[in-house]
Amino acid sequence: MIIVGLAVAGALGAVLRYLVDHSVQRRIPSDFPVGILLVNLSGSLVLGVLTGSALHHGLSGTWLTVEGTGFVGAYTTFSTFAYDSVRLAENDQWGYSLVNVLVSLGAGVGAAAAGLALGSLT
Amino acid sequence: MPVGSAVGGRPPSEAPLRILAIASGGAIGTLARYGVERTVAVPDGHFPWPTFLVNVTGSFLLGVVVVLVVERWPPTRFVRPFAAIGFCGGFTTFSTLAVEVTQRAQHGHLGLAVGYLAASLVVGVVAAALGMLAARGRLFPPWGTPIPDPDDIAVFRSRPSTRASDDKGTGR
Repeated sequence: MIIVGLAVAGALGAVLRYLVDHSVQRRIPSDFPVGILLVNLSGSLVLGVLTGSALHHGLSGTWLTVEGTGFVGAYTTFSTFAYDSVRLAENDQWGYSLVNVLVSLGAGVGAAAAGLALGSLT
Repeated sequence: MPVGSAVGGRPPSEAPLRILAIASGGAIGTLARYGVERTVAVPDGHFPWPTFLVNVTGSFLLGVVVVLVVERWPPTRFVRPFAAIGFCGGFTTFSTLAVEVTQRAQHGHLGLAVGYLAASLVVGVVAAALGMLAARGRLFPPWGTPIPDPDDIAVFRSRPSTRASDDKGTGR
């Protein structure tokens, strides 16, 4: 059963990433991947909350797997982040590439920490 | 039609199929990642090898797929939604990396947290670059012969006389 839940959650997460990325990039047309950055930061925050709830408030392991591993795991993406960093550098947009790396990793870990704190509190 | 306009110039009727391609790729990628994460249970305070391996191999694969779709292959409609946005996007994960780094830092394993983050970044970016180079035929000659540039192919096509070299056995 968990396999079905994971597959559905992964499908929904990937589609939501696509929709968020496209609606953001359409409003803010730029070579900078602001859509994927927002996806990864919001997903890191949500996974932090879910993990904190599982650790301190008994969110079941099954739900953490389906929502966390399945939905949020598929919603966020590392491969596009890595590819975009190379693509920007290749186009001589080194500033964008560096900012993408630093903000993604720095704010991503910050968002996860904030999420873990929130999930432990509520 | 927000979805139709998001695909830029294509008929809106194609958008549901693109969404379906992304959904199926995302489902398969998620199950594949779950399979890898299940095989190795990583206790807190240890290097999260499953996430690391998933992210590095997924980055390599995405580099290959995007270059093939954008630079190498004739235009395709559903390969990028399925394989790139769906599978590679669903297979790799940023949020798990962020939470794993944070937990290790909070539990006193600061060196491990920084090392894991730095290793994921460096090896992941290098893997994506290697995937792109491989798809361009610049990394190693696949199947024994480098893939020629599209420009070179155009030259071959516009000058059929070069085919004569095949008869002399020097062409391939």
